[in-house]
Parts: sequence; C-alpha cells; structure tokens
Amino acid sequence: MTAPYRLLAPQERVRYWRGYAERAVPAVVTLVLVAAMTVPVFVTVPVIPHLGLLGVLIWANFQPGLMPPWLAFVIGVVADVLFGLPLGVNATLLPVMVIGVRLIHARLVASRFGDHSYISDWLFATLVIGVFTFAEWALLSIAGTSGPFAPLAVQAGTTILAYPAVVGLIARVQRRLQALG
Amino acid sequence: MDWPPTRRTSYARREQNLALIGAVVTGAVLATGLLLLILSRVTPIYSLRLRTAAIDVVAPFWTTIRGPFDVLGSGVDGVGDYIATVPRARQLAIENAALRRALQDHDALAAENRSLHRLVRVVEPRLGLVAVARFAGASSGSYARTAMVSAGNRDGVFAGQTVRADVGLVGRTVEAGSHAARILLLTDPNSRVPVLVVRTGQPALAVGAAGRLLEVRDRLGAEVPLLVGDRLVTSGAGGLFAPQIPVATVVDAREPPRARPEADPVAIDFVAIYRAYLPVPEVPAAVATVPVPREARKK
Repeated sequence: MTAPYRLLAPQERVRYWRGYAERAVPAVVTLVLVAAMTVPVFVTVPVIPHLGLLGVLIWANFQPGLMPPWLAFVIGVVADVLFGLPLGVNATLLPVMVIGVRLIHARLVASRFGDHSYISDWLFATLVIGVFTFAEWALLSIAGTSGPFAPLAVQAGTTILAYPAVVGLIARVQRRLQALG
Repeated sequence: MDWPPTRRTSYARREQNLALIGAVVTGAVLATGLLLLILSRVTPIYSLRLRTAAIDVVAPFWTTIRGPFDVLGSGVDGVGDYIATVPRARQLAIENAALRRALQDHDALAAENRSLHRLVRVVEPRLGLVAVARFAGASSGSYARTAMVSAGNRDGVFAGQTVRADVGLVGRTVEAGSHAARILLLTDPNSRVPVLVVRTGQPALAVGAAGRLLEVRDRLGAEVPLLVGDRLVTSGAGGLFAPQIPVATVVDAREPPRARPEADPVAIDFVAIYRAYLPVPEVPAAVATVPVPREARKK
C-alpha cells in the first residue's frame, strides 16, 4: 500500500481488505474439504477420499505462496482432531508434504513434462498420495495405533480417483476469485 | 575493503529476512508436529478438550445437512411401504400369533425367575437409559472407526457409556462435548468387548480389526472349536456393557474366529445410550513400589 489508509477512497479500502480475504481462501476451502470428510456415511472400508490431503496438495502445487507449511500444520491438527486420530499424524505429514511438493515438483515434474500438464500433475499426485499413505501408516504405529495397511491403501486409491474432482473445484474457486478481482 | 560498505537494497534485505523467517517457522512447525505425535503416544488424554470442542462444532452441521435427505428417504420408504402392505400384513399376522405364544411362555419364565432371584437374594443393577440420539458424523479416515451422535453432557451423555441399537451393541462413548459425543464402534481396532459364546458359554473378547468383521480372541477353552452361526453376547465383565446384549455372529470359524456385528451402523439412524452397567470400581489405595528401608518400618 502506497498511500496511508485514511487517504484511501472507499473502493480502494474494499480492495485493500479483499486482498487479505483472498489470502484466506485456500485455508477456508481446504478446511471445508476436511469437514466434508466427516459425512455420516458408514462403510466397512474407508472409501471417503482424504480430501484434506488433496486440498493441501493442490494448493501447494498451484499456489505455493498461499499454502505455507504452517497453514498445512493447522489444517492437519483440525483433521486429526475431527477424525479421532492421534494428534500429530496429519499435523506432521501435511507440512512435510508441502515442503516436499515445493522442492520436488519444480525440479522433477515441471522441468520434464512442462508446467502443470494435467496428466503429469495427476501422476505426481498419485506418487505423493502413495508416499503419504505409507508415512501415515508408519506414524500411526509410532503413535500407538498400529493396524493393517489394506484400509489405508483403499483410501489412497479413492483419493487418487478423487483428484480430478477436487482439482476442478479448486480451479473454479480460483477462476471466480480472479473474475472478482 | 571499500568504504562505505556496499549496501544491499532494502528489497533484497527484506526478501532475505522473509526467507529466513519462513525457514524458522517451517522448522518450528515440523518440530511441533513431531512433538504432538510423541505426546499422543505418551499421554493420549491431553487433546481431549480440543476433540470434544471439535465434535460439538461438526455434529450440528451434519444434523442440519441430513435433515432434507431424511425427509426424502422417509418419503421413498413410505411409498415402498404402501406397495408392499398386503403381503407384509399377512406375514406380520403370522409372526404376531407366534410371538404372542412366546410372550405367554416368557411371562411365566420371568415370574419364575423373579421368585428364584428373590429366594437367593440376587441384587440386579438397574439399566439406566440416558439418551436416544442420531448419528451426526463419522470418521472413515484410516483406522479410527468412530461415529458422532447429537447428544452430549447436556443430555447426560459422558465418556464410558454403552451405546446400543435395537438389534445389538453399537459401541461405547469415548468423548463427550456439550451437545455431541463420539462413539467408538465395535470395528475400531481399539475396541474390546467382553463376550460370551451363547452355545458353549466360553468367555472371550470381541476385538475390532478395522474391517467389516470382529475377531474373537482370548477365548477360554480354545480347544472347543466355534461353529459358524455361534452367537456372541456381552458377558457383563468389566461392568460397562450389561450382560446379554447381542454383539455378533460367528461367520468364519477358523482361528482366529471372525464374527459379523449384529448392529451395522449403515442401517442405523438412532442409537440408545445407557449408563455403565456397574459403577466404576474405586481406585485401590496407592501401593508403595519402592522398598521401605528397615529403619523406617514400624515395629
């Protein structure tokens, strides 16, 4: 902001505050995705995809500045609390994933397959989700809830399949924001 | 060295500072995450307040969302009921006659049981219904198999109470907020229910396995094999679950035997929450684990 706040016209003030509000959009969208995962559907295997993971992954991939590691940590804490998991599983893994995506995507994916081609992004997401699931399994056993790997693998599969839908949703949100601003 | 020293532009300095702050914050975040993880292994209780607050926030949300779907669903059910009315009425009449006969036997048996109990002065703990509530959320993430219900401390629901449906046991409450509670379902790996095998009378534990079925473990008299179709009911051991609540039916008799829970949360909307069957036993007086020196002992 170049001019003092008191000298701004009302429209400029609105734009000033909306700049801050827009920064909160990735956090809000991802938290809504996390809350949506508690939908009261009872099935024998966890077929509900890990939407929170997808939200964090996609924002970190497309708008790294709006999904810093600390925000991923906050989202992870909310996810752990809501899903009744030992506190710290998602809270550790999501920031690690954000850092990893920042480091790896530019070097490994974007340099070879072009910047954000749809298929390469989906394959990259598949890789990240696979690694995330293995790490989640390991951390769960560290936290004292060890169990079989199969249910987690099912959830990883549905998460990979849900990628296009979530990426479409987030793209729409972002387009709507750009249309406003 | 030239003087004055070459100054970095303020923008470059700002960038550098921001990058440094970012790295520090990131490190702190990772350290906090790992710390939380270790804490939740050592003391799983510390996050309880946070968890109960969270389920209080989420449960009303789903209660509201599912309202219209429930209305729609009941409308569809109503149409189906109307179509199938006549055959069902006939079937119900037949069942009703059979049940009326059974009820007469039951009345006689109950009276006999009461008089026998009076003879040997059996004291029966009373079952206390606390609340009837509906499911308002589930966690299907990874292993935890929990559900939320829209009743909490306000309604008398606290942690450590029995949750059952008409067909059988559903689980136990593990966390309770002011108007929502979290239920540990039977299929959760942390769930252990003391059961009796009805046919043989063997006590055992029904343990969740994060899947569809329960495992029957620690069976007394393991040389007596279970059969497919054996029914498991709560034994009342431990005092949380009252005896004789249906729990599961054995569907796979190979060791370890596997059993299908009677109450499937998919098919249940409302559950009844009961007080623990027996009061929680008093904590025994602290026993010194450090040997007392001979001089300090009383003569």
